[in-house]
Amino acid sequence: MTQPRRSYLAQSYAFGTEAAPPLEFKAIDLRDRPDHPDHRFNVTIVPGEIVAAVGDEDSGVGDLGAYALGLRRPISGQAVVFGALIADLPYYDLLVFRRRVGYLQVGDGLLQNLTLRDNVALPLRFASDHRMADVEVRVTQLLDDLHLRAAAGLRPAQANEEDRRRTAVARAIALDPDLVVFEAPFDGLTGRAAVDLLEHASRRADGTRRTVFLTAQDLVPSTRRMMTRVLKVVDGEAVEESS
Amino acid sequence: MTAVVAAIGQSGARRLSVLGGLARFALRATRAAARLSRAGRVVTLRNLVNQIRFTALQAIGLVTLLSAILSFLVIAQTSSQLGAVAPNFIGTIMVVAVIRELGPLLTALIVVSRSGTAIAAEMATNRVMGEVTALEAMGIDPYIYLVLPRMLGAVVSVACLMIVFDGVALVSGYIGATVGSGGMRVDHYAAIVLGTLSAKDVWLTVAKGITFGAAVALFCSYHGLAVKAGPTEIPQAVTRGVVGTIVAIFIMSAVFVAVVA
Repeated sequence: MTQPRRSYLAQSYAFGTEAAPPLEFKAIDLRDRPDHPDHRFNVTIVPGEIVAAVGDEDSGVGDLGAYALGLRRPISGQAVVFGALIADLPYYDLLVFRRRVGYLQVGDGLLQNLTLRDNVALPLRFASDHRMADVEVRVTQLLDDLHLRAAAGLRPAQANEEDRRRTAVARAIALDPDLVVFEAPFDGLTGRAAVDLLEHASRRADGTRRTVFLTAQDLVPSTRRMMTRVLKVVDGEAVEESS
Repeated sequence: MTAVVAAIGQSGARRLSVLGGLARFALRATRAAARLSRAGRVVTLRNLVNQIRFTALQAIGLVTLLSAILSFLVIAQTSSQLGAVAPNFIGTIMVVAVIRELGPLLTALIVVSRSGTAIAAEMATNRVMGEVTALEAMGIDPYIYLVLPRMLGAVVSVACLMIVFDGVALVSGYIGATVGSGGMRVDHYAAIVLGTLSAKDVWLTVAKGITFGAAVALFCSYHGLAVKAGPTEIPQAVTRGVVGTIVAIFIMSAVFVAVVA
């Protein structure tokens, strides 16, 4: 497999700064109250950390993933990814830059007309310059790692929820990104499946730790134990929970 | 009075804005081709073949049937109404009315009704299900993955179907001429029709195939991807896409006549 930094993915390293933290939220207004300068969401995530932001549905925690990917612009404040103000990047630069970040959106975001295997292969085929043979090797490896071999030929509507989520995680880490952002990744999963998914998501292809930021309404104890930090969003602010 | 003028102006401005949006959309879809990755090219080619299979191959039966009936009716009626002077006009009517004008129009309408609706509905569903967001989040340009293969597929398919339409129309026209005039030799019919057919008709068919095909894919993709609110907008998007394409095809037909004439 071609090393990402030497390949097509190298373009995505042209943005931001090398030594910058993978993800920073600076004075984000999660409560939709721009006239109240207090209670802003400030968090810096350092390389290798697994950080969860938990909060109720109306806490605004569900918007953090979209801010981190530049899919939406916060009312006030900034999401900074690898030193780049992601919301300010032009559209095509943003597309290129996002190849450094894996993303699992609420639900799963799988393409319904593709099999689970083709869904995993999608970023490798269209967002990298790997040859088809290399892509197939990497996809097979991901399907094996995430126990998806048996369901690989199914379409999302034919697969169970756990397999769909596993596929979405496999797709998010297919390009071996430095950072992954997951929105409510464990909803409806057993604690064991959630731990398994998080273990795969937090490990890069070379064995080093990957930075993970996830949002959820709550975490079960087994996944909570795997977090470097758990931040509870209270009244728009991040309050660190003691372990 | 002011309200009427304002309403007309507003409607005109809205249509102009759609035209501007379509032009931007077409430009982005065309530019997307230059950014295809190595494996992406292979997959796009596969998608293109699938698109042509659905748009062209599966429509051949319908195009053949309608072409055969249309040219039979037109030529049989011409032959029976004009009587002895019919052979002087059969060639002109076959080439000008059937091959040059009705053929491309009918073929494009068949493709809009079969594939245009499918493209608009699929794109709108992609948007509503969050699949377009998922593509953008992966760093994949939705124009590369969704629009480009459909645009190329529609262009190739409409051009090929027009050729099929013309071939069937020529054969069926002979049957119509035989029935309408009470008998006509094949070589006589061929001499009349081929004598009227010119190189201009060939490149006009190709040009119409490209522009009509592009119009089908562009209008339907544009309106499909413009859906924002939810599933209830999908049928509206399909209607807007199909109606827009039909209007565009008729206008383009008129422009072709004006320019070529």
